[in-house]
Amino acid sequence: MNDVFPLGKEDLLKAYRTMKTIREFEERLHVDFGRGEIPGFVHLYAGEEAAATGIMMHLNDQDRIASTHRGHGHCIAKGVDINEMMAEIYGKSTGACRGKGGSMHIADLSKGMMGANGILGAGSPLACGAALAAKKLGHNGIGMSFTGDGASNQGTFLESLNLAAIWDLPMIFVVENNGYAESTSVDYATAVDSYVDRAAGFGLPGVTVDGTDFFAVYEAAGEVIRRAREGGGPSLLECKMIRFFGHFEGDAQTYRAEGENESNRANRDCLKMFRARVTEAGVIDDQDLDAIDTEVLKAIDNAVEQAVAAPLPEASDLTTDVYVNY
Amino acid sequence: MRGNKPVVGIIANPVSARDIRRIVAYAGNMQITERANIVLRLLAGLGAVGIERVLIMPENAGICQHVMRGLTRASNLGEARFPVAEYLDMAISSSSQDSIDAAHRMQEIGVASIIVLGGDGTHRAVVSACGDVPVAGVSTGTNNAFPKFQEPTTVGMAVGLAATAPELADIAFRSNKILEVDVAGRREIALVDVAVVAEQYVGARALWRTHNFNELYVTFAEPEVIGMSVLAGLLDPVDRDTPEGRCVYFDKSDNPEFKLQAPIAPGVVAEVGIKSWGTLLPDQPCQIGPKQGSIAFDGERELSFSGDDRPTVTLRTDAFRTIDVSACMQYGARSRLLRDHRGERVSVSNATKPQQED
Repeated sequence: MNDVFPLGKEDLLKAYRTMKTIREFEERLHVDFGRGEIPGFVHLYAGEEAAATGIMMHLNDQDRIASTHRGHGHCIAKGVDINEMMAEIYGKSTGACRGKGGSMHIADLSKGMMGANGILGAGSPLACGAALAAKKLGHNGIGMSFTGDGASNQGTFLESLNLAAIWDLPMIFVVENNGYAESTSVDYATAVDSYVDRAAGFGLPGVTVDGTDFFAVYEAAGEVIRRAREGGGPSLLECKMIRFFGHFEGDAQTYRAEGENESNRANRDCLKMFRARVTEAGVIDDQDLDAIDTEVLKAIDNAVEQAVAAPLPEASDLTTDVYVNY
Repeated sequence: MRGNKPVVGIIANPVSARDIRRIVAYAGNMQITERANIVLRLLAGLGAVGIERVLIMPENAGICQHVMRGLTRASNLGEARFPVAEYLDMAISSSSQDSIDAAHRMQEIGVASIIVLGGDGTHRAVVSACGDVPVAGVSTGTNNAFPKFQEPTTVGMAVGLAATAPELADIAFRSNKILEVDVAGRREIALVDVAVVAEQYVGARALWRTHNFNELYVTFAEPEVIGMSVLAGLLDPVDRDTPEGRCVYFDKSDNPEFKLQAPIAPGVVAEVGIKSWGTLLPDQPCQIGPKQGSIAFDGERELSFSGDDRPTVTLRTDAFRTIDVSACMQYGARSRLLRDHRGERVSVSNATKPQQED
């Protein structure tokens, strides 16, 4: 960390590339899903890129995360290959899980990505297990779960807060609060709409940050992760964020206020905010970022082309990968 | 509205006291339910001295629901001590902007005063938009130098007395200083301190990396508070009434003339190298030294500057009014305002003049 920016130019460009990759990955899926080219369901992370990126910049492959049904951003930021991700979402045998999981079950243990998860609130206990393993094995890895504002009302989440507290686990609970549990406003669905309060109820410190501000997330995440690594125990990080698309693709979003999406895109776009900050400070030129934009679009095109061309799983694949020895 | 029955405003913003000082320090956590409880205690105090209507800032984090639930339960139990509580009709952004918008709206409506739940930051937001409406604070924030810890019930009573007793005008209010910062034509204010730090990003806002501190300007400097202003308070105290402030320049070298040990955040007593300090006189703009960095207002980084921005800091006196809770309650005592003689409560209109107890 220097006096001016928390990251050097190279890492700032890396952060931008990750956010832009997530954005374009999701924008492309939005289009291709609408054409009926993708099986199953997809839940898009566009608008929320600063959170996954700002957090994951602090993690390494040894750190394990448990994601949500809206997991593409977490996967990309954690380093999962986008070609394998795209193939997985297309249900192809070259996918990260050989096409058997689809959007909601992308996993890559080599990257510490334990999986997206179609069951709301299911990730927290899994990540507690990873945190317990890290503690018992004595390496300084951490466990981290991502939970939405809706899933944070699940018993599994609350039980995990308790478990992490009593075992003093190197565990971070990230609550991605985008304001809606599917279509239900958090104002209605959560009795006490402060997840920091919930953590405090279990003796965990917590912090709320603007999840659309990469630098706010990066700085806060750095502190909670350092704390967990160095024996300071579990904590909670609430990111208040904006979801650009509906809960799922095809969601008519009748629960939103008129003009809400347009206003969010215009005023709360984390990529625009990032670009403005680093260029105004004179740390990075617009041309550098424009070049990344072009490269990312090509990479996404390439991922889709590969996924489309790849073979589907065979019927015989149905009985493989059911059990794993370890 | 003025000339009719006085209405009091309450601003309790749930986004206050949620920052990173809970991680990098040992800052407290004022839970939503407790904030709602504080609002109920304020309402009880206000209602007890004759305030019949209160306007509250709406929010969507649960304070409102818990307050309304509490009022409904009180009504079910036959308790009639609460005034009518209404929520402002305004859009909610779930940010400190709500405090600004609510204060502005309350000032337009003509409330007698505004009670603020929060720390220095929330008070700053309200003061930036409330004009000449006096404010009363209940501390719920983290690094609070400005609002003091006071029982909300008593604050409610004092504010109610100030609103209903015109003769209190001379003693109920005190004037306060502010710092004005001009950055390339943008004007910002601080109630307590303006800190210039090296970081060129706002990030998680709070200040805790002492090696990045450059300069500090304060309206008042009390050695017993927590936060940035205590650095000035431990060097050269100045109270809230004296028409001068303080400025401190930090020495970031490895070998400063001396290091000052100061509680800059809850549970964090840091050593900070001191280069020099001085007196800030009213209405004399002081140019910030560094060419780039960020400026923190009342403990939170708010904006970054660079190049030709050349920010200035100016101390202003008589900038806004606060309610002196102690003075109001003492007046109430001496005027026997709170005595009930065989079922007949002494009201403001028939109160005796302030007098010593027999």
